[in-house]
Amino acid sequence: MNVLDIRNVTKTFGDFAAVDNMSLSVREGEIFGFLGANGAGKSTTIHMVSSLLKATKGDIEILGKNIAKFPRFAKANIGIVPQDLAIYEQLTAYENVRFFAGLYGLRGSLLQERTEEALEFVGLGDKAKSFPKSFSGGMKRRLNIACAIAHRPKLIIMDEPTVGIDPHSRNYILQSVRKLNEMGCTIIYTSHYMEEVEEICTRIAIVDHGKIIAEGTKEQLKAIVTDTKEIWIGVRSEEGVGIEALRSIPGIVSARIDDGMIKLQSKAEINNLNEIIQQLIRSRADIRSVEEQAPNLESVFLTLTGRNLRD
Amino acid sequence: MKIASIAWKEVVTTIRDRRAFLFMLAFPIVLMLILGSALSNAFTDSLSFDELKLAYTLEDQASPVESYWNGFSTSLASSGVAATALSAEADGQAAVKNGEYAAYAKIGSDGIAFYGSSKLTVESDILQAMLASFANRYSLAMAAASQAPDALPSLLAAAGSGTYVRETSLTADRAPNSMDYYAMAMSTMIAFYACMSATQLFRSEKLRHTALRLTAAPLSKGELFAGKIIGSTVINFVFVIAVVAFSRFVLGAEWGSHYGSVLLLLFTEVLLAVSVGVGASYLFKSDGGSSVVMMVTQIFSFIGGAYFPLSGMTGWWVWVAKLSPLYWINNALARIIYSDDVQAMWPTLLLNVILSVLFLSLCAAFMRKKEAL
Ligand SMILES: Nc1ncnc2c1ncn2[C@@H]1O[C@H](COP(=O)(O)OP(=O)(O)O)[C@@H](O)[C@H]1O
Ligand SMILES: [Mg+2]
Repeated sequence: MNVLDIRNVTKTFGDFAAVDNMSLSVREGEIFGFLGANGAGKSTTIHMVSSLLKATKGDIEILGKNIAKFPRFAKANIGIVPQDLAIYEQLTAYENVRFFAGLYGLRGSLLQERTEEALEFVGLGDKAKSFPKSFSGGMKRRLNIACAIAHRPKLIIMDEPTVGIDPHSRNYILQSVRKLNEMGCTIIYTSHYMEEVEEICTRIAIVDHGKIIAEGTKEQLKAIVTDTKEIWIGVRSEEGVGIEALRSIPGIVSARIDDGMIKLQSKAEINNLNEIIQQLIRSRADIRSVEEQAPNLESVFLTLTGRNLRD
Repeated sequence: MKIASIAWKEVVTTIRDRRAFLFMLAFPIVLMLILGSALSNAFTDSLSFDELKLAYTLEDQASPVESYWNGFSTSLASSGVAATALSAEADGQAAVKNGEYAAYAKIGSDGIAFYGSSKLTVESDILQAMLASFANRYSLAMAAASQAPDALPSLLAAAGSGTYVRETSLTADRAPNSMDYYAMAMSTMIAFYACMSATQLFRSEKLRHTALRLTAAPLSKGELFAGKIIGSTVINFVFVIAVVAFSRFVLGAEWGSHYGSVLLLLFTEVLLAVSVGVGASYLFKSDGGSSVVMMVTQIFSFIGGAYFPLSGMTGWWVWVAKLSPLYWINNALARIIYSDDVQAMWPTLLLNVILSVLFLSLCAAFMRKKEAL
């Protein structure tokens, strides 16, 4: 059964199409990754699914029911974790979660139970009576998640839930996503961090300019890049490394330097490793390591768009 | 139930906002103290007259009304009224016109003809009220006497004496002193200030991104709208009640004896203010709404009597002041408090409610059309 069906959906702002004739299905039990650069149209898509925006064209169904015809049914089955923190500073963690869960019709002792459960789940059980202003960025993010799950929605949509937080909180959140999934929730996970998406998602759609340019499991996506290979060369100093000269070597698709690591993409069928090394020796780079990387989502994105995900 | 949770959330978040607290409670009380004591000279502590001059003619000599009148005129003298008997031929009206007397009364067995001065209006009003209560008592005494004719003399004696002044509503001790006035004026001002926070009622949800959650929840726009309006009105009204209570019990300000009517009127004022604020936030798209509302509120407060007493307003100022809801409300409140005129509440109350409904329906229509909050 599909939890979500998006059919030929377009959303225009003025004459700019933020989402352009998109079609997409999410099956029950998936952790569906929605990967794309900033401005690709991820949030806009999510906002249409959660009835915050109306699609200009196309249909959206939640659990087989059209959201325009059954808005309450759709809304009741979705929990949304917004990209920006959406909590009240004047309410305690407990009051925040209880308030939002109450809007989904929970009452009395059940409301209290689910609120406590949600706070426990994100590891804020002992902070129930504290106000968000005493929280770290990661704790606020976790509260942001608790507010979306207390009513036990079938579909949880997370819009970049790990932006700007410490590694500890990030791991905590990624683990919570897996746990929620094990508990039976279907999850749509939006991110522009390909490592995260690669780590937890069972299926991934890559979005660019409002369109889905590739969709499938990690393995299926990586199979797209059989014709390119990725070469990483560690250097002691970035100075004097002639990136331009490397780019002009036959077969090289792209070259960049990132924290002492030269990252090259090259056509798979051309063996140009000798020329690359010679060029680096000429420019007196102090080579520390050379390795050929297995294809990752970054290279998939690069192959498909000719751009890097983070640019 | 969802409406109640939203209203509850509004109340709690406002109470915990220290700025709102200072602004809605400390500010009016401080102003009350400053204006109440600094401007106390602008108020006479009591209405006092050298002498209330009354001219009268007794038409039926040696009738029951005469003995009754005699009892009355002694009590008049002790209330500071100088009653002068004119002969039947004298022109009492002309004497009043000349300013010799504040009023002239022609007393007969079948009634009192009253002629008051058009210049000394306050004095003539007081005299008129006294004579009215005299006439009331007289007719009561006569009705009683028709049942028991023997008791007539003692009835008349009892009815004629006693005080008449207390029965009138213009007794001097019920005019406002400056603290009384500013307690009322600051309370109505702060009630209207509710419109400033109301401009942020929906904007703040947007700024905090919580609008997103509210819109994504299975909640109608109507429920959200009602919950927020109710919550905001309730908490602002609680602030007003606190200010009124403080002025009454700590500063000893006069609020009369019709608390129900006073509070009801203030409640409709808060509702009006919230409606105006929310209306403005829909009318002016960006943050312009709150600046406009801030300015309008200050102007309304200024011309409506928040800083200068209504009684000092004359001529064109009164006309300008009438544009301010605060003027209507202060006026109505003053009449409830000092003249026991509870009926004075209705026109203002109805106006407040009608305007609120108007503004709120406009906003609701706007809101329904909009895609997001
Ligand atoms: N309300 C809006 N009005 C106009 N343009 C918008 C609006 N919301 C989003 N956009 C534009 O639509 C594009 C997609 O935005 P968004 O969905 O937020 O991207 P993402 O979440 O993938 O970073 C961006 O170019 C953004 O500027
Ligand atoms: Mg986004």
